[in-house]
Formats: sequence, C-alpha cells, structure tokens
Amino acid sequence: MSSNGALLTVTDLQKWFPVRKGLLVERTVDHVKAVDGVSFEIAEGETLGLVGESGSGKSTTGYCILQLLKPTGGSVRFMGHELTTTSRNDLRELRKEMQIVFQDPYSSLNPRMTVGKIVEEPMLVHGQGTRRDRERRVRDLLETVGFNPDFTNRYPHEFSGGQRQRIGIARALALNPRLIVCDEPVSALDVSIQAQILNLLKDLQRDLGLAYLFVAHDLAVVRGMSDRIAVMNHGKIVEIGRAEEVYTNPQEDYTKALLAAVPVPDPRRMRERKRERRRLAHAVAEGF
Amino acid sequence: MPLLEVENLKTYFKSRRGDVRAVDGVTFAVERGLTLGIVGESGCGKSVTALSVMGLLTPNARIVDGAIRFDGRDLTRLSERELEDVRGRQIAMIFQDPMTSLNPTLTIGTQLTETMKRHLDMSTDAARKRAIELLEEVHIPNARQRLDDYPHRYSGGMRQRVMIAIALSCNPKLLIADEPTTALDVTVQAGILDLLEELREQHEMSMIIITHDMGVVAEAADDIAVMYAGQIVEQATAEDLFDRPEHPYTEALLGALPQLEGENVREGRLTAIRGRPPDLVDLPDACRFAPRCPYANPNDACARHNPELREIRPAHLVRSAHPASERAGALAGADA
Amino acid sequence: MAVNPEEMEVRQDVVRRETAETSSYEAGAAIRQSSLWRDAWQRFSHNKAAVISMVAFVLLVIYVVITPWVVPYDPNNVDFSSAYLTPTWSHPFGTDEFGRDLFLRTALGGRISIGIGFAATFAIMVIGIAYGAISGFAGGWLDNAMMRFLDALYGLPYLPFAIITLAIFGTVNFWTMVVSLTIASWLTTARVMRGQIITLKENDYVRSARAIGARWYRILFRHLLPNTLGVVIVFVFLELPNVVLGEAFLSFLGLGINPPKASWGSLAQDGYQQYLSHPHIIVIPSVAIAWLILSAFFIADGLRDALDPRTREAA
Repeated sequence: MSSNGALLTVTDLQKWFPVRKGLLVERTVDHVKAVDGVSFEIAEGETLGLVGESGSGKSTTGYCILQLLKPTGGSVRFMGHELTTTSRNDLRELRKEMQIVFQDPYSSLNPRMTVGKIVEEPMLVHGQGTRRDRERRVRDLLETVGFNPDFTNRYPHEFSGGQRQRIGIARALALNPRLIVCDEPVSALDVSIQAQILNLLKDLQRDLGLAYLFVAHDLAVVRGMSDRIAVMNHGKIVEIGRAEEVYTNPQEDYTKALLAAVPVPDPRRMRERKRERRRLAHAVAEGF
Repeated sequence: MPLLEVENLKTYFKSRRGDVRAVDGVTFAVERGLTLGIVGESGCGKSVTALSVMGLLTPNARIVDGAIRFDGRDLTRLSERELEDVRGRQIAMIFQDPMTSLNPTLTIGTQLTETMKRHLDMSTDAARKRAIELLEEVHIPNARQRLDDYPHRYSGGMRQRVMIAIALSCNPKLLIADEPTTALDVTVQAGILDLLEELREQHEMSMIIITHDMGVVAEAADDIAVMYAGQIVEQATAEDLFDRPEHPYTEALLGALPQLEGENVREGRLTAIRGRPPDLVDLPDACRFAPRCPYANPNDACARHNPELREIRPAHLVRSAHPASERAGALAGADA
Repeated sequence: MAVNPEEMEVRQDVVRRETAETSSYEAGAAIRQSSLWRDAWQRFSHNKAAVISMVAFVLLVIYVVITPWVVPYDPNNVDFSSAYLTPTWSHPFGTDEFGRDLFLRTALGGRISIGIGFAATFAIMVIGIAYGAISGFAGGWLDNAMMRFLDALYGLPYLPFAIITLAIFGTVNFWTMVVSLTIASWLTTARVMRGQIITLKENDYVRSARAIGARWYRILFRHLLPNTLGVVIVFVFLELPNVVLGEAFLSFLGLGINPPKASWGSLAQDGYQQYLSHPHIIVIPSVAIAWLILSAFFIADGLRDALDPRTREAA
C-alpha cells in the first residue's frame, strides 16, 4: 500500500499475545491473536471510526499504532516514519504528533497531580517553554475544552466524569498533535454529557485540523464522528469504507448483524429489527 | 388491579451533609403482563427505586414515606422475614454486572438449586432437574454438562442468561432488571432483550426494566417513566413518549442521542444539555430541571414551585410548566 | 399562600446564578471541594477505635519521651533498701531487685524499644519499597529473578535469622539490633510494594505518561510511587509492632541490648524469675509492649479504611 501523503498508514498490523503454560519453565503453547492483519489509512484532518465489540481488537490496534504495545508484525507508517523500527529518541519526538484520549475518566488522570500539572506534563517532558509560557498554555488549553482555567490547583477527584474527560482532552492537545486516538472517549459518560464531549471533539477537529482514530463499540456514536469506518471482529477488519456507505449499504453479514442489534429509540421499528436480527444470528453466534 | 403499585415513594440516604433525597415522591404502577421501563441518567434514582421495592437498601438508606403495594400487600409494612419470602419468590431481580453477580466459588448448578431449595422446598434431585430445564429455557447449550461448571467458564452474555434463569427459578410474578444489558456487547444485548421478551410472554410475568439507554427502553418497554433528580418527570406508553415527548428533559435527552440513521449526521451537532443534575442534598423548591431548561424563565411559577405530575393527554403524564404541547407555537387542534 | 416578595427575589437570583455559573464554562463548577487527606482524616476521626488508639499511642510516646526528663531518679542507682517495692506514689511502677525505679526504667526502655522500632521500620520501608518497586516496575526476567530470590529468603525463619545476624555482629547494641531485625523483616513489604506497583502500572494515566514520552524515572517517581503512599503509611503501622515484638522477644531470650541499657524485653526478662513473688516487674513492660502493638494495629486498621480508594470515590 503506497503512502501517498496519508498521515497514517497501517499495513498488516499484528499483535499476538503468547499463552504460556508450564510448571517450572514456562513455554509458549498458543497465541491470542488480538490483532491479526489489520490495514487502513488515515488522511490529515480525517476521522476513521474503528468499531467492534469487546475482544475485537480495536483498542489493541490503537495502542499498537501509538507503540504503547509493541506490534508483533506489520507496519505503521506515521508522517513518513516507520514507527515499528524508529529509534527510541526519534519515537519520543514523534510522540508529540500522536496522542491519546482514554475511556476511563477515573484512571486516566493521576489522582495525586493537580489539574494544571496534568495538562502541563507533556510540555514539561519535552522541555517546551518557560514555566510562565506553560502556565499560560495550560490556561488556554483548558479554556479551549470548556473547562474553567481557575481550577488548575484542584485535584481530579473534585470533578465529574465529563469534566475529567475534558482535562484528558486538554492534555492530549498540549503538544499540538496531528493525530489523536480516541479510545472509547464517551463510553463511561451519561448521554447528556456524551453529547457535550462529542460536540467538543468535533469542534476541535474543525478548528485544529486534527485527525482522529475513533475507537468505539457504540455504532451510533461512531456514525456521527466518522468520515470512514472500519468494522473489526476477532482481530480482523471485516468491512471498511465511507461511513455513509457502510451504514446504509453494509456488505458483510457481520456488519449487518451489528447494525441490526443496535436498539433504536423508535418502538415501531422493533418488530422489523428483531426479524432482521434472527436472520443474521449466524453471523454473531454467541460463544462461550 | 395492577400487580405493583408504588405510591409517593421516598427513599433518603444518610450522609454527613444531610439527607440525600435519592427517590423523592415516585408513583407508578406495573400492570400484569406488561413491561415498565424506567429510564434516566446516573443519579436520577431509578436503581434506588428498584432496590426499595425489593427491600435491598443499604443500612444508610431508609424508606421515609410512601407505599409499595404488591398484589395488594404493602411491602413497606412487612418484616424482614416476610419480605424474604416475597423476594426471590414473587419478585426477582437481575443486576447489571454479570461478572460480579455470580459467586465465583460455587458452581452454576449450586447457585441455581440454592434458590429453589430455599423457596420451593425442593429436594436436590428435583432442583437439579429443574435447573437443567431452566438453563435450556434461557438457551444455554449443553445444559446438563454445563450445570457443574464454574462461572469463569461462562462469557458475559451467558452469565446474564444464568442470572435470568436463577431469577425465573421460582416463577416470580414480577421481574426487575436493573441495567441488564449495559455491560454487554450490542449483539449479546439484543439476544438478552429478546430472551426477556420471550420469557415474559411464556411465564406471564410483569417486568420493570431500568436503563439509561433510550434505545433499550424503546425496544423492551410497553410503558415508560422518565426520571430526573429523584422524581418521575414524564410517563407514557412507549409509542407516545417517542412520538410526542412533552418534557424538555425528555426532548433534550432524545436530541442528545447520537443517531444510527439519518442524514447529515457527520456534519451536525448533538443537542447538548448544559450544566449538571442538581445536588440531591440541597434541592431547591423550584423545578429541578429549571437551571438546565431552555424554556425556563425566572418569572415563571416553576422557578418557585416544583410542578406536579399532571395528565396532559390520556395516559401521558408530565411534570413541567413548559411541556411541548403547551409551548407558544404549538398548533391549534385537538390532542388525540 | 402569599409569597414574600423578598423571598421571590432571592429565589430568582438562585436560578439566575446557577444558570450563569454553569454556562460560563460548559464544564461547569467542581462537584466537590476537598483534599484527599481531609476526606481521609474525616473518615479516620469517625472510627472510634482508631481515634482512641491514636490517643493511646501518642500518650505512650509522650510518656516515653518526657518521663526521663522529669523524674528525679537515677536509673542506674542501686539501692537495695528500696528493692522490690510494689507500686506506690513515689514509685508508680514500683522498683526492681536493685531498687531502681521502674517508672523511669520502663520509660527509658521504651525509648530503646520504640527507637529500635521506628529505625528498623524506616529501614524496612526503604529497602522493601526499593526492592519491590524495582521488581514490579521492571517486570520480565528481572522481576522473576528478584521474586525467586525473595521466595528463597522467605524460607528462612524470621527469628533465627535475626539471631544469626546478631551473632555475626558479635555485640548487641541499638544499631546491630536494628540491622538484624530489618534484614529479617523487609520481605513482606517488598512483596506488597511490588504488587502495588504492578497494579498501578495498569492505570491509564501511566499509559498516558508513556504516550507523552515520559522517561522511566518520571513514571516511577512521579506517577507510581506517590500513589503508593496510602499503602506505605498503613504498612508503617503494621511493621512497627512486629519489630518491637521481635526485639522484645530477642531481649527476653537474653539476646537483647547489653545492660545497664534495657529495652522492654530485657526488663521483662529481669522480672521473669520473680513473676510469682513480684509480678509487677514483668507485667509492666509486657503491658507496655501490648499497649504499643494494639494501638498501632488499630491505627493501621483505621488508616486502611480511611485511605481505601473505593470509599474515597464514593464519599
């Protein structure tokens, strides 16, 4: 696959986890193939939605791209650099361009650091600016995400889930990245707060030209955020294409089954959707 | 007579700052053979309502007022012993997290038969036979072999099915499902909802399904009550609620839902509800949704008094001074 | 019902203020204002047993520190005319076979016992935390190797190990005792710390630090270790009584600090022979040891409840 200017090109990405057994000496007897040959591209400013159920490998894919997990195989080309073989120092530099927003607002912020220090940390780690510069930027970032900058001396536990997600987003923006991996960023939030955060993410994308890899299990959420969609199942991409296309004209049975399974807020459609689900039951056989 | 009648239920929690009014005057009824959906965001009091009905409140919570009439008997007047007979036998409950609802050190079979032996006075053999039947009813393959498995050998969806089997084991008249599908994948969720529907018909049970997911409640419920800050703010049949929502909160909630279908979803924005639910210790006398309501006005009556739940159409109740059909611009014409 | 117009003003203001505050930043105001420590202290102070124990512990420390400055007796003055006195006003704890005032000697003994306790506990914490943190943080083969070594050490019985170490040193003084007790006791702390670090490593904020490009020392010292503070504090109050008891036991066996210096253990040993005729000589230091151990354990219990992250979020 040629990287013709795409910001991120993932080719045949693999992440296998060894299953070890043995008494004194452990031997690898098998592998859990969390990600098993995944390929896609993301262009500048674009959002690719990565959707799948639990165990599909979508979060693992995100971590592998950011090299938080070392891929077992395949290639990750980001801004022209092959991340799987880059030196540690070069990788550290490149990290400024790719960041992540996590799912759990409670474990993604260090409870012993103030809000200000949390958002400042990326700049501190890379030695950017003087302390005053950083303080000013922290305030700017918090304002941008709709969080009151007067609260920089407070601790995360004093804030709600949605507020904490905003802090996490401000932190992700601190180094001006080009790509942000959003790993289920709203799954832990109430519907009304979800809407706030999703709107925020959209606004930021528009204002800052960010590209997103939007990982989620909620098909409706992904629909509203993505230009293109990839559907994952058991470590592989089952279907990939423009969001409109995949949602209105799905090709694969698994995709159709997934779409039929989503409960829609319309009681009248229920019977028809249940029929559709029964028809596609084979594609999502519930395993043990 | 409805199977369950809850009247002006008030459940408060003790806290250092005062009473947390988790459920503050909730009234609803569940008819025989029908499903009531209670929907709301976290903290609205929906789970506490269910726990109050079941008598499963923690020691720092107490029912301060109200009546819970099940089949004519007021459950709030029963002793713990009498309540234990009702609980599990006539009213059963399933919970959100199948991973922690089952005891990991007991086999599935033991957990199934335990309930039956307690309530139905069955012998172990008879209970085991019935347990296998139940597992088959909830579509667990190879039920006979799997009876002696431990929970860790079951997936999340399968465990939830076991929970349902346990709940059904004593043929309850009412099943309360508290966020039964929240922890499950969407395809598994669909399967569980289908199963609940099927079982409800077969056993002629009534059901209360509690969830934050408007889609789930649209699918599973006949009647829906929307809760906010410890009170019911709107109540109607499922179809009427989604066709013509009245309360600004319901409207906002529906507007905040990401849509699976529809056009221009990518470019559009969701209707966000600004602010946050009120502090349940320090509630004002005003309408509880007022600070977040796009129609509220400091000069309105709702800024001083909490509106009553009133019938705006047959079988459609709303607690608001600004329901949709009464807003300026509502078309003239008969409300059917 | 007539509504007071002034009341109306206030309520409108409330509605208006609430709307303004929440709309100035979409995120809104903080939902609670408190420090984690203050929450923990509140929880702790509601635990009666813990508070009583804290008071008892502090009283004991005060007794041990202040008494020798205040009491006019000379601890080493031999005066057979006053031997074996039972507790009286001039000798609240009585005297021993040499006529030495026990109120004073117990306090002095306490200085040594508690001093050894704190010193050894501190050393145990330093070594245990370092070992456990390195093992847990490194993971992989280093973690495996370090843990196997630890397991091997676990096989050695605690007190004989301490005794052998003392024997190697030759003399028994404050520092040799501290070292011997430390060497035998740091194992559990190391294991617990390793467990803590391994659990904490799974938190998303650690992943985030890596994603930012933070280097290992920043992750260890800024993100991991500070979050073990709660566990460390509880452990201090669990290890302290263990060490004091260990020292007391060794002293009772006669392996304690050389006379005339005495710890509670050696005081007990002094009185052991006469326990039938003059029980106070052995009872008093024993009560002192028990006092320390029980109060420390209850404090540890209270601290553990107060600092439990689960209750922390719920409050």
